[in-house]
Amino acid sequence: MKGYEVIEKIKGYINERDMIVSSTGNISREVFHILDQPQVYLRGSLGLQISVGLGIAIEEKKRKVLVILGDGSLLMGMGSIITSSYYKPSNLKILILDNAKYFTTGGQKTVSSAINFTKFLGSLEASFKISKNASEESINQDLTKFINSKGFSILHLKIESGKKALSNITWHPEEITKRIKKKII
Amino acid sequence: MSEIITSNLFLKFLEENNFSTITGVPCSYFKDLLMYLDKEYDQKKIKHILATREDEAVGIASGVAFTNRKAIVYLQNSGLGNIGDALTSLAQLYKLPMLLLISYRGLLPDKDFPEHSIMGEVTEDFLRALKTPYWILEYETWQETMKEAIYTMEKLQSPVALLVKKGVLSL
Repeated sequence: MKGYEVIEKIKGYINERDMIVSSTGNISREVFHILDQPQVYLRGSLGLQISVGLGIAIEEKKRKVLVILGDGSLLMGMGSIITSSYYKPSNLKILILDNAKYFTTGGQKTVSSAINFTKFLGSLEASFKISKNASEESINQDLTKFINSKGFSILHLKIESGKKALSNITWHPEEITKRIKKKII
Repeated sequence: MSEIITSNLFLKFLEENNFSTITGVPCSYFKDLLMYLDKEYDQKKIKHILATREDEAVGIASGVAFTNRKAIVYLQNSGLGNIGDALTSLAQLYKLPMLLLISYRGLLPDKDFPEHSIMGEVTEDFLRALKTPYWILEYETWQETMKEAIYTMEKLQSPVALLVKKGVLSL
């Protein structure tokens, strides 16, 4: 499966109270166009998506916070998945879409293939932690377990590269913040 | 020797100004405060979150600000070099206020610590270049300075910084 196909599947698993934090480039664009608005669409700050999700999760304990990021962002901010595992907020869900590429900037390679994700995630304190290939046959079952898990959860999916032709996010970041603050009240 | 700002009073002041979270990367200049936070302080009032890097701490504080709450981030000025993008493409861009408590290393008391000397020289230029308003925190005037910093932070809806020299928050 491609990243946007996984994001399309997420539609059925989140409600209007949930908060998605999406990563720089294509992922934010896909979340903006495919899923309910508004969400925390991050445009820059590669590597900081998990930390932003953690900040929201510790303050809004009754709201599910789903962070969607790529392997490039995970690698740049590697410490944050450890910090999250230390505090393990039960409402925090981290979805890693791994195509082993910096896809937005032209498909340059990342070093993510050096990680054995089953072992790596297995070593972290999380109540759900699975690494697998994203596949049509199992995606619904995987997302159900991952998003409905009662505790802090991490799902790492290997995906194929590919994107939809989508226009840029039309809201200025200041407008994104205004809409998020309204959603929180 | 002048007195230091009591950790208890400092945290009370943050409580009264509705800070919900404190996060950051340690400096020996904050030793007393961080010890008090972990050993004696009731974290139901202000949560303490350990960060692995300074930009991660700014990310956490940004998440807090998205929820209409306020966080304070503590770091050494060496860590200023790590937060340029976190400020410019996240906190400043998205209008997310936060208070940065930065130890001012590399001045005279650090003459035997060359690792701090270059950043010590450029710290204020660095903050000016990042368009981040800053104040130097001093024992005699700390509450007025912090009030002014918090007022500016709220007005700009953006990060502001307090520079802390040796002996102000910890001996």
